[in-house]
Amino acid sequence: MGVNKVANDAYTLIRGGRLIDGLGGTPVENGAVLLRGDRIAAVGRASEVAPPEGAPTATYDYPGKTIMPGMVDCHTHHNGFGDGRPGEDVAAQPDEVLMLQSARNARASLVTGVTTIRENGPKNTTMFRLRDAVNQGILIAPRMVLCGRPVAIVGGHMGYFGTEVTGAVEAKRETRRLIQEGADYIKITATGGSTRTSFPLRPSFTLEELRAITEEAQNFGKLTATHCLSTQGIINSLDAGVDMIVHCAFMEADGSNNFREDVAERIGEQGAFVNPTLHVGRARAWTFMHKRDEQGLTAEEQARLDDNLRAYDDKLNDCRRMQEMGLKVITGSDSSWGDYALGNTFFETECLVDAGYSAMQGVLSVTSEAAKALELFEEVGSLEPGKAADVIVVDGNPAEDIGALWNVDDVFFGGRLLDRGTPESVDAFRQLRPDSSPI
Amino acid sequence: MSDANPDFTLLRVARLIDGGAGRPVERGAVLMRGGEIVAAGPEEQVVPPEGARVHEVHYEDKTALPGLVDCHVHLTGFGDGRSGDELATLPDEVLTLQAARNAADHLRSGVTTVRDCGAKNHTTFMLRTAYEMSITSGPRLSLAGRPLAIVGGHLGYFGIEATGEVECRAHVRQLVKEGADFIKVTATGGSTRTSFPTRPSFSPDELAAIVDEAHSFGKHTVAHCASTQGMVNALDAGIDTIVHAMFVEPNGSWLYRPDVAERIARQGVFVNPTIHNGRGRVLALERKRLEQGLTESEQAELDGLLRRDDERLAAFAAMRDAGVRLVCGSDSAWSAYPMGGFQHEVAAHVEGGMSHMEAILSATSASARSCWMDGEVGALEPGKRADVLVVDGDPSQDVGALWNVADVYLDGERVTGPGFGVS
Repeated sequence: MGVNKVANDAYTLIRGGRLIDGLGGTPVENGAVLLRGDRIAAVGRASEVAPPEGAPTATYDYPGKTIMPGMVDCHTHHNGFGDGRPGEDVAAQPDEVLMLQSARNARASLVTGVTTIRENGPKNTTMFRLRDAVNQGILIAPRMVLCGRPVAIVGGHMGYFGTEVTGAVEAKRETRRLIQEGADYIKITATGGSTRTSFPLRPSFTLEELRAITEEAQNFGKLTATHCLSTQGIINSLDAGVDMIVHCAFMEADGSNNFREDVAERIGEQGAFVNPTLHVGRARAWTFMHKRDEQGLTAEEQARLDDNLRAYDDKLNDCRRMQEMGLKVITGSDSSWGDYALGNTFFETECLVDAGYSAMQGVLSVTSEAAKALELFEEVGSLEPGKAADVIVVDGNPAEDIGALWNVDDVFFGGRLLDRGTPESVDAFRQLRPDSSPI
Repeated sequence: MSDANPDFTLLRVARLIDGGAGRPVERGAVLMRGGEIVAAGPEEQVVPPEGARVHEVHYEDKTALPGLVDCHVHLTGFGDGRSGDELATLPDEVLTLQAARNAADHLRSGVTTVRDCGAKNHTTFMLRTAYEMSITSGPRLSLAGRPLAIVGGHLGYFGIEATGEVECRAHVRQLVKEGADFIKVTATGGSTRTSFPTRPSFSPDELAAIVDEAHSFGKHTVAHCASTQGMVNALDAGIDTIVHAMFVEPNGSWLYRPDVAERIARQGVFVNPTIHNGRGRVLALERKRLEQGLTESEQAELDGLLRRDDERLAAFAAMRDAGVRLVCGSDSAWSAYPMGGFQHEVAAHVEGGMSHMEAILSATSASARSCWMDGEVGALEPGKRADVLVVDGDPSQDVGALWNVADVYLDGERVTGPGFGVS
């Protein structure tokens, strides 16, 4: 990472009240992690972790605090604003402005403890150019897994970001083009979504088109993820061998919610990951609640809030069922989409805990399990010797209270202590729960 | 004495430099409200209204002065020695990001207003859009957008190469439509590979058309002049600022022309001499000489650059004596001069013969005047924007104190946070 590389022979020793290694075992009391350059050298009890005799070492002590892996957010939109504007309005901005917003969002992620992200849909080549700028040392950003642009049908969800294809041949060609431009995985919108000209309750691509994309991605060893706001899209995705189902909404074509245990079972059998994106809906509800608390709502707004809360409840229940079935449900915030801004990934993990995960399962969903979903577990997601030195320090014990993930005290990224700026500059990225919110 | 929701911010300082011609005020104060300066002067004369909610900040042993005005920057530059030709090969998105980073760095170094003298395509306009959307922030911007160049001329790679009066006028109109605050024109060649630095570029009729069209929109004009005939042409065209002002003959020799300097002074044209920028290469060569020695040709290049530096400082002094209005603009991050070091150019003005106080004015009020922004910035006076720099020590005795930035206020707000990009 250009100018920011730490010297390979520099040791950093981080000691805390406890250590969560991200592998699911009991937290280590008085734990420590030793970094050598940009890699983790040793992990364990503070009494057992020490640099070699005489080696120059920077030591950081965090009594009472928790050391854990940097968080992994499987679903971001770095072009976005998280202020409620629709995707069409985001796409209307020039690429240069979207790049700058992406850079701001990259900082928001890092300073709040998210050290790896998977981008799920930016415009044109904005994220590839952001990666160029990071490689040139212009700015820092989390480790980034990029799709370039989502693949959509004509008029389909997020087609405005630049890739609308028809037919297996075009689907294959655009998949190759994205990979040529630098895509790390392929994102497909298998149903409509919030895009005005799309149909969220209907599948978008034909199975043949979907297969053309997933097979081409597999040829290049790239993962695939599909946006699915309705059940037929999930079924088609499974038929096409998709690796991650995003949103995973069990909606019928008539708009009713109907959890399909048979479909969920298939997801489990095929080993696909599920990214339920619960908070992005709750964030919309919170916007209404903030307005209600400040100035009151019109009858129409109140009705929309009620609808929203009902839908959230359905999603929470469906998520619980999937968690109980042992599906691989992981954290992917979907920020900054809709009303959900980057810098607040924690809220999605909190929702997964509200749905049914234990606090520790919540932690794993945003560290090791998320890393596995991205096939990056060799590199990030847990504190183990040889892995990238992405370590965060949080106040409190997230294995008992997931709320501790909100209180990030320090971030070590690639072995280097990040200058997170003033508390006010970090708070500027934060969204707040409305006082009156029951959820 | 602070209040949670203050109406006013009151800065108390050991001394105050208001950007005017007077001496620094001992024990001064600046009173600001809503981004504007309400009062500035001796502290006993700067009193908030009775009962007002005031946030007071005391700066012991520190000096407040107007936020610096750098009348010549290239926000998209890297300052790492790369040529403009290379710079222009980068995608617009990357250049815009670099501009955001530079803007944040420059602001934190004490510069609250910049005039960008040339960037590729729409990049700096996009930065302004990002400011307006609160995506990022930085110094107040005065933007040229793309400079006007002849075909193959200096900075033509940024997007405008014009031929003939009609095309020149059309480009000026296009830039104004896009949001240009002034018009930059390269009146001679420069470092651009295909250009001729010792020769004028635009013909006098083209130059006159550019200046006339800019003035008809109330926009000022700035000409890059790396040789003397370019200056003469620019003066003929009624230019407002001459940049570089190098007294170079077509054969490359240096010849200071008192008659030209006199015309510059008589026409009230500002000169931005950009002394320090040429030293980036000097420093690199000197470093190499110490570390591994120089080849014969490198030694010759170094000798030539040092001679040119002397000649430029001598011309600076002569122009100052002739009454030319010399204003401070860094030309960073062009070539090997990174942003965040405007202080180097201020110091060069002292080397050129200015008093320390005069050099401060050249980097504040005079610089603002050259940008046609003196109604807004460049002085700590009632009604001006509350852009204030607080430094340790007394820069009126030694401009080196400008490096010791304690705080920067932009529009009355203290600049905080780590800036943009790498930290």
